[in-house]
Amino acid sequence: SGELMDLIRTEGRRMTAAQPSETTVGNMVRRVLKVIREEYGRLHGRSEESDQQESLHKLLTSGGLSEDFSTPYPLLRANVIEAINELLIELEGTTDNIAMQALEHIHSNEVIMTIGYSRTVEAFLKEAARKRKFQVIVAECAPFCQGHEMAVRLSKENIETTVMSDAAIFAVMSRVNKVIIGTKTILANGALIAVSGTHTLALAAKHHSTPLIVCAPMFKLSPQFPNEEDSFHKFVSPQEVLPFTEGEILAKINVHCPVFDYVPPELITLFISNIGGNAPSYIYRLMSELYHPDDYEL
Amino acid sequence: TDAPRCLADLIETFRAQLRDDPDVASAVAAIRALLGFLKQDRGETIQGLRSSLLAAINTLSRVDSSVAVSSAGELFLRFISLTSLEYSDYSKCKEIMIERGEIFLRKVSLSRNKIAKLCHPFIRDGARILTHAYSRVVLRVLEAAVESKKRFSVYVTESQPDQAGQKMAKALRKLNIPVTVILDAAVGYIMEKVDLVLVGAEGVVESGGIINKIGTNQIAVCAKAQNKPFYVVAESFKFVRLFPLNQQDVPDKFKYKADTLKTSQNLTEEHPWIDYTSPSLITLLFTDLGVLTPSAVSDELIKLYL
Repeated sequence: SGELMDLIRTEGRRMTAAQPSETTVGNMVRRVLKVIREEYGRLHGRSEESDQQESLHKLLTSGGLSEDFSTPYPLLRANVIEAINELLIELEGTTDNIAMQALEHIHSNEVIMTIGYSRTVEAFLKEAARKRKFQVIVAECAPFCQGHEMAVRLSKENIETTVMSDAAIFAVMSRVNKVIIGTKTILANGALIAVSGTHTLALAAKHHSTPLIVCAPMFKLSPQFPNEEDSFHKFVSPQEVLPFTEGEILAKINVHCPVFDYVPPELITLFISNIGGNAPSYIYRLMSELYHPDDYEL
Repeated sequence: TDAPRCLADLIETFRAQLRDDPDVASAVAAIRALLGFLKQDRGETIQGLRSSLLAAINTLSRVDSSVAVSSAGELFLRFISLTSLEYSDYSKCKEIMIERGEIFLRKVSLSRNKIAKLCHPFIRDGARILTHAYSRVVLRVLEAAVESKKRFSVYVTESQPDQAGQKMAKALRKLNIPVTVILDAAVGYIMEKVDLVLVGAEGVVESGGIINKIGTNQIAVCAKAQNKPFYVVAESFKFVRLFPLNQQDVPDKFKYKADTLKTSQNLTEEHPWIDYTSPSLITLLFTDLGVLTPSAVSDELIKLYL
């Protein structure tokens, strides 16, 4: 199984290098590696409770040998395939699991704010709308204005929706009860990499002491830390910000169109994922359950 | 009659290690000395071993009452208890203890390098770093950053009363890092210019806060006020089972040097050597167990002591 893990790791590295902003690819590779380690450990006869993580306890009591994955087990393949199928089933059910928790968080006559378009938040709000009456304000999230599509979908379910520009976020925030957003990635310290404009939303919410709830499935949790602050940035064509027809101006200025925003963990109140609600300070624990520390660097 | 001689040997071994290798952490030296003490202990029972070890640890803390030595002592005791639970036969148990002790010492000697590897990506090219007093772990991290071809500059606080900052500045100059020594009082002034703060720790407490040279708390508060990340680097054997709620809760034996405790009449007239920084001011802790948020520290401690 050592060879299998190396193979998967090489493929994983290739895929993440191809599209670094899609962190879920790397996350899934790490999940699979953890599955293989667990199945190997189970067959190898190690007890279920033994901790795979580095800990002070392990430092003191270990006999010194690190895990050697070279013993072949014929059953390993079948077990790994079964475990991966379970993983697939879990992944397919994540949106429903998150939506099921909607009723606990959304109450009648509330004003909810969201930004851009997120399938998870859409399902979350739709599920709540079946039993509760509330209003939604959607920030349009320029320059791609995905907020418009979100508003159309929500209003089809008879939810009272208002669209407003990003500049009005702070102005409207005093009337908002909760902010519910989706995200692209959750980092290891509980921070977010989300669509551009989210940091503004989070700061406005903090200023008004409005709870900020992030709905995101567990596969978006990535064991990276925000070390180089600008390294996650993805810039796309500035055509959306300032169209190429404005050629005279374009020659004299620099135009950027960043896609992502970094939101620090202090601004977030709650993470709702398929395994329940958690505080940002607990993310480290969830990570240790999903991935093995040796796999953090693929 | 054996006991006092062994204890005197113990103190001598401890002091000799610190003399011969100024780079070694005092906790590691303490553990090595205790392991030596364990090897030549001629007791026949676990209880006897525990009580003679307790006496040994007390003697050591009378020589060097710092947090690090205390946490090393507690860790060693825990190590003995854990091992003795697995093997009931005393002589076999002792063999295993000695073997595991050697492995443990080998692993911790690698811990500084592990930490340096984890921490140096957080130092960007062109960064300005503020550090406090003299920390060998911070030095190792900065060395690793230099090796990965990053350019950065460092501000070091002078760190009175022993001017440890000057020692740090000298070591940094040897690595060709541009360094400026500043007054302890100038931290608030310089904070707007720095990009991040990086300090070591003498001890990491259960809440995720740290105990470090006096002045660290001030730096943390200034950093928080100006939104600068405050990073702590510490090896895992520095985790202690303390939970101070404020500065008064830190035991006196850590605040003052061992000699002062023995000779001084009135402790309120002495200047403390350490202070406690609360976890809300710390951004991340870099340890050989990985990069941890302050809330993860108590989890680690629970895993060990429960």
